[in-house]
Amino acid sequence: MDFVSQPLPVSVNYMMSKHKSGANCSAAGECVSEVQRILRERFCHQRLPDKPMGLESQYKHLLELLRRTAVHGESNSVLIVGPRGAGKTMLLSCALRELLDLQEVKKNVLLVQLSGLLQTDDRIALREITRQLHLENVVGDRVFGSFAENLVFLLEALKKGDKSSSRPVFFILEEFDLFAHHKNQTLLYNLLDVSQSAQTPVTVVGLTCRLDVLELLEKRVKSRFSHRQIHLLSSLSFCQYRDAFRSKLSLPDDFPDSKFSQDWNVSILKLCEDKSVDEILRKHFNSSTDFRSLHLLLLLAVSRVSVSNPTLRAADILEASRMSNADTKANILHGLSILELCLIIAMKHLNDTYEGEPFNFQMVHNEFKKFIQRKSHSIHNFEQPVVLKAFEHLLQLELIRPVDAGVCKVQREYQLMCLMLDQTQFRPQWRARSGQLMQEKSDEMWQGDENTKGMTLQNSATLSTLACLSLA
Amino acid sequence: MPAVLQCPGYPEAKLRCLAESLQCREVQASTLLALMGEPQQYSYPSVFIYGHRATGKSHVVLALLTELELPHAAMSCVECFSRGLLFEQVLMALFGPEAAALLPRCASFSDFVRVYRQMCAQEPADQTRYIVLERAELLRNMEANLLPGLLRLQELVDDNVTVILLSEIVWDKFRPSTGCFEPLLLHFPDYTKAELQQILSRHSHPSYTPELYSSYINILLGVFYSVCRDLRELRHLAALNFTKFCEPLEKGEAQESDTHKLWRRVEPHLKRAMQTVYLREVSSVQWEQQQMDEKEATALRGLSAHAHVELPYYSKFLLIAAYLASYNPARTDRRFFLKHHGKIKKTNFLKKHEKTSNHLLGPKPFPLDRLLAIFYSVVDSRVAPTASIFSQISSLVTLQLLTHIGHDDQLDTPKYKCAVSLDFIFAISRTVNFDIVRYLYDFL
Amino acid sequence: MTTSSVSKGCFVFKPDLKKRKRTVDIEEYFVDADDDCSYGRERFSICRSLWEKIKTDTEILQDELNKKILDSLLEFIKKCTSSFQCRSDEWSCLMRASEIPTAALVLGVNVPDHDMTFQSLSDLLQESVTPFAVSVQAKECSGMPKSNLMQKLLERLMGVRVTEEEYEEDPSLSGVPLQQKRVSCSIGALCQWYKAVTNVRKHIKFSPGKYCSLENDVLQCPPIVVIFKDFEAFNPHVLQDFIFICSRYIQELPLLLVFGIATSPCTIQHMLPHSVSSLLCIELFQSLSCTQHLATVIDKLILTAEFPFKLSGKVLQVLVNIFLYHDFSVRNFVKGLQLALLEHFHSQPLSVLCCKKKHALLNAQKLSHQHLEMLRQLPSFMRYVEAQEPQEQVQLLTSDKYVKEVCQKLLKDIRKYHKNYYCILRCLSSLTSSLPKYPLGKHIRELHMSCLERNIWETNEYESAIQLLRLLAKDELVATLKKFVFVLSQYLYSTIPFNARIWFWNKYTMLCPLGMHVEDVSEGITPLGKDLQKKTDLFHLQKTLLEMKGSRRTKKMTPFEMLKNEALDFIDCFVRSHLSPPELQPLHEVCYYSSSGFLRQHLNATPRTSIQTALSQPFYYLQNENLKTDAGTVSSSAPDICIVYKLHLECGRLINLYDWLEAYATVVSGAEGKDPDSEEYGKVDELKHARFIKAVSELEFLGFVKSTKQKTDHVARLTWGGC
Repeated sequence: MDFVSQPLPVSVNYMMSKHKSGANCSAAGECVSEVQRILRERFCHQRLPDKPMGLESQYKHLLELLRRTAVHGESNSVLIVGPRGAGKTMLLSCALRELLDLQEVKKNVLLVQLSGLLQTDDRIALREITRQLHLENVVGDRVFGSFAENLVFLLEALKKGDKSSSRPVFFILEEFDLFAHHKNQTLLYNLLDVSQSAQTPVTVVGLTCRLDVLELLEKRVKSRFSHRQIHLLSSLSFCQYRDAFRSKLSLPDDFPDSKFSQDWNVSILKLCEDKSVDEILRKHFNSSTDFRSLHLLLLLAVSRVSVSNPTLRAADILEASRMSNADTKANILHGLSILELCLIIAMKHLNDTYEGEPFNFQMVHNEFKKFIQRKSHSIHNFEQPVVLKAFEHLLQLELIRPVDAGVCKVQREYQLMCLMLDQTQFRPQWRARSGQLMQEKSDEMWQGDENTKGMTLQNSATLSTLACLSLA
Repeated sequence: MPAVLQCPGYPEAKLRCLAESLQCREVQASTLLALMGEPQQYSYPSVFIYGHRATGKSHVVLALLTELELPHAAMSCVECFSRGLLFEQVLMALFGPEAAALLPRCASFSDFVRVYRQMCAQEPADQTRYIVLERAELLRNMEANLLPGLLRLQELVDDNVTVILLSEIVWDKFRPSTGCFEPLLLHFPDYTKAELQQILSRHSHPSYTPELYSSYINILLGVFYSVCRDLRELRHLAALNFTKFCEPLEKGEAQESDTHKLWRRVEPHLKRAMQTVYLREVSSVQWEQQQMDEKEATALRGLSAHAHVELPYYSKFLLIAAYLASYNPARTDRRFFLKHHGKIKKTNFLKKHEKTSNHLLGPKPFPLDRLLAIFYSVVDSRVAPTASIFSQISSLVTLQLLTHIGHDDQLDTPKYKCAVSLDFIFAISRTVNFDIVRYLYDFL
Repeated sequence: MTTSSVSKGCFVFKPDLKKRKRTVDIEEYFVDADDDCSYGRERFSICRSLWEKIKTDTEILQDELNKKILDSLLEFIKKCTSSFQCRSDEWSCLMRASEIPTAALVLGVNVPDHDMTFQSLSDLLQESVTPFAVSVQAKECSGMPKSNLMQKLLERLMGVRVTEEEYEEDPSLSGVPLQQKRVSCSIGALCQWYKAVTNVRKHIKFSPGKYCSLENDVLQCPPIVVIFKDFEAFNPHVLQDFIFICSRYIQELPLLLVFGIATSPCTIQHMLPHSVSSLLCIELFQSLSCTQHLATVIDKLILTAEFPFKLSGKVLQVLVNIFLYHDFSVRNFVKGLQLALLEHFHSQPLSVLCCKKKHALLNAQKLSHQHLEMLRQLPSFMRYVEAQEPQEQVQLLTSDKYVKEVCQKLLKDIRKYHKNYYCILRCLSSLTSSLPKYPLGKHIRELHMSCLERNIWETNEYESAIQLLRLLAKDELVATLKKFVFVLSQYLYSTIPFNARIWFWNKYTMLCPLGMHVEDVSEGITPLGKDLQKKTDLFHLQKTLLEMKGSRRTKKMTPFEMLKNEALDFIDCFVRSHLSPPELQPLHEVCYYSSSGFLRQHLNATPRTSIQTALSQPFYYLQNENLKTDAGTVSSSAPDICIVYKLHLECGRLINLYDWLEAYATVVSGAEGKDPDSEEYGKVDELKHARFIKAVSELEFLGFVKSTKQKTDHVARLTWGGC
């Protein structure tokens, strides 16, 4: 297809631009780095889009909730549930951004952001809350009987001069499910409890990727939770997806060099029409619709943009997708030595014969020796220790896993293992390898040296063994 | 292909000399550099670099970071075996000791993030900060929240920071059950034979021609490549055996030209090296010694050569009994150890349906009283059940000739396994002239 | 530690201060034990002095036995250190992967003896190579966190540094450890600390100090030696990580590892995967086997006349058996010896005579009447008396004064006897130890024991040995005789009449050439050179030549045969006259300790059997007459547990508790002396019931029965057979 033809016009009109605006390479360089800056900020730093894409309804809903708290001082609690990378955080922070634009809200609302990854237990969480509410000095070194007292005290301390109204507080709990694992869920209980009682306007917003999160909650906690959930099960159609793709790549209008940005956007448009790109996008779309993986892909692509090729070409996208979904295990397997690969084949045989029962080194070595006998000329016989060393390497790479981990008492050669590879990863691998061997063989033949001949013979033999083994 | 590193925002000269130093890794280096982007630009929150040992993962990364003088903290997770240590090191490297001093004694991740935020509020990043963690697989053994946290550290501390994880193990083995922020995967493929040849040939011996050395490397690879592709290992071996290779030249028996002769001379030597030095049977120093004074390799015995262990008389028999107990099926004890076992037909005694021999399956656990029963029947004289007999068992355990199955606090009916090899037990039983083969089920 | 040794559990080691207290007690004990308070203290002091001597001797022995291996180890360490210094940028060093020099120190399974070795090793290191020698044990670092080992290492090293006095006043340094305290235990901290220290060392290098004797490089940066005392016991993962970390820092930090291995070097490969062991550069050091060790100890402590205290054959047998069969621990052997010593001096009042010659004579002079009576009671002394003429006997039995004189004489005799005994013993063993199939044993200790038992020359082993000697080929015979003569010549103090020696000398020297001569007849050539190199000193040489001339002239076998027979007969009569067992010596009880049973009981306890005896024959322990019964039965008045035990012996695997109770009730009511016909005979009342329950639970506690789920109100029996 039109790899060759496609990028041509772009480069051409880039040339033209260069010609007439006389902008030299340095200008182009600046433009490129500017592009890089903008796009990287989008893809790496999750810069907030102007409006959340494809999540309008949820956005409205959430915003409404928050505003009620902020403006009318209603307490509330809500869970935002959605798969990883679906844009939960993005959604929330968009809402907050819009909310905080309002002046009276801005100076009124307090924000407490906790993350299940950071606040691993309630003591830490409480300290964090205190800190974020800037109440360390108020608390001083006063000791509290219970968690509840402490929290209540904090909220009391927030009240303004006249006891009538007090400032609304947003509690934002990322990785909400992790909080559920804390000791009898004290934090959750108290927060939700406060959000129930109308003493201070508090809204608890939980973000989680677990749909079954409510099951994790104790009854008393669950009962205090207003069962509001916002689900981000993205109902994105492919065209939307592609639009997202385009809009994420295209440059804003306030780009300094308007000429360049136009060219760029044009090239992006072209890119979207390109067939290969299209099918890649479909592949990605089918695997996962979330934007983060898309970001990953795009970053890989954009990182290839440089002064020498100032536009995004289909080839870049191709390369990026190739990198982003490479088979990692196959990659690792590729690096194994012949001996190690033979061992793996032996293990596979054991797996086949004994229906995937675990095996130990002795068995593998036994099997291996059988191979050697069958093809005595091929792989010259290795000492058992040498084989053991290879075996250990496999263990180290976790291609094989000890059945009962942590039992270091057993003699190493008798420790039961199981193979962590399956056919699909395996077949292409040895084919690739045999191909590689062919390669090696050929170039050794080429520099025909006495010793390397020996080596070559051995390799070809090994190759044949591999062949017969894995076909067996 | 001469992929010269290029990326705007970095001085050309440095990039050039980097390209020099990162031989055969230009592609990976340039990819990595491209991903890092210009210093002040954002980079992807976490990058996971995987590849075999000695494929230049840490070398490339560290070379880039140090050469381009980017702010970074590099450490190995083996050293930072505790969370606190890790945080301390990171802060120390990025912000200096006073930052590390801010951490409380056993710092939680939250403390770390707090301090980090505080510090980079003081000195905001004009460049991307990098945190490089080698042997990242060990992070999995630490607190569960650590790895996911580090992966999205950029978000948590809201700073232009990138965490680079290096490991030999594929990412699939890292992913927690509930998933986490997916890092950007980057693979460092192993060196091809040609590349190995090229790299190894680079540091040729000063007093010999590079051609000679490269031909030597060629021979070396011919022997070892099928077994080992670890660059470090190969270089080590190359260094150890080169003198032997040059010996004929020194003696004037051969010219540099006739490589065949040299090969003939050195190849058996290398083969021997594979069984000795490569396995560290013989330490490298000894190996060189032996090359110096022309001894045959048979002269110096490897570690496994001294397998003999002197044991007290009864300990020997205890060990033998343990071996029998763990390699014979319990049902066969009557036949072996009763003087007048009734008529047990050899035919139905030897059940053929047992497909694999016990010496393939390994030792089975056995209870203490079985051990003692066998012991009393194999030991020739009548032995009083003294305290020292029992203590010998437990000391055999501490010597790791037996292994105690289950917890040590389990007092009643402890179970043991025998942890010695067949040759070992043969040697032992020979010293007390006890013909163990007659008692082993596998050898019937 | 001892608890991880083959001999674990045989001994109780008390903390030091306790022991000191004990010894005082012992003294009191000695004194009180005497009916008259005389000599208790003397005996104790003798005993103690003897023990001190033995102890010091053994320590000296230990040291010289370990000397060789330790010296080679030190050599190795020094070599490595210097190699650390000259990290030369020569090609091979650059190319080589840097490995951690490691010494694998194989010490054998007698773990209790290791401590001493390691102690002397670290002392040597401290004084000659490096102040930074740390030894760690497995159970110190067995904790789950792998930081544990590192922590130990750091605090030991730095702790040492702080307390080292010559730097105390140095402000720059006193700061160092403080700052380290803050830094949590990472090897980086160690590196900084090390740099700081070595810098200071460079400063103080020229000030006179204890290190100035060393060569410069070792002085400047001494290596850090980490000694793993019990390698097997360590957790492999901890070790692996530690080694890996160290290997990363080996460039900055001259680290050295020493593995104390009890079994065999293979364990290294069993415990460490190749990826780790390839970071080490292992050198092997094998200590000599503990049997040799024992041989030397026996040679120096037992087979010598200088210690008046002796062990009888059986006792020695017990000690040696414990060594050979159960533990290979020389230390425990010596402790056994100590026990025997104590026991002897405590139990035998006459042991006051068992000391250095002149003391003994003095003590003999001031023996009290009772002691003399005891003396007269001694069987050996009685035998002696009976052997005398009547009036002599009368005197012996009546006059104390005379007895004292005789006693002195006898003491002198026994001393003489010992001198000759050991001399001849060694000579004989020198002859027989090389014979085929060792009729008299390979080691001298076996010969010694058989000599202690009976008249050796009556045994047929001895016969066969002599026969073999007669059948020996000439040159072999000559060689053995040469050894014999050599050993003989060492014992100048032995009171074998000098002329006898000379006579033997001649025989021998006549013998050799004949041997040669016959040989050369058979071969037809004159192996004079051989002959010459065989002879050592001139005196022999000329005699030889002379003899050769003589024998050349007369070509017949008879002189050789004759001479040979003479020589052997001579040896034989030597043996007969000097190797008689000590029992025949009067007053041998004074210096021979003979109660082997006591030792066995204490050194090789059999808890199980003693429990069973206690249960089956209660009389054995509580000496109550009416518990005495014939074997198999148990009297109804025995303690409940005994009865219950006895009853349960008759039951099968599962014991019905109710039947058991009934049987018990009948037996017990037999004790109450009710008449068997009355109907409440054998009735179960609450009291019996309670006692029964108590007894059963005691049995359960002792591990004879245990409750089972298989059947209701049954218990499972756990022991089998009569024992």
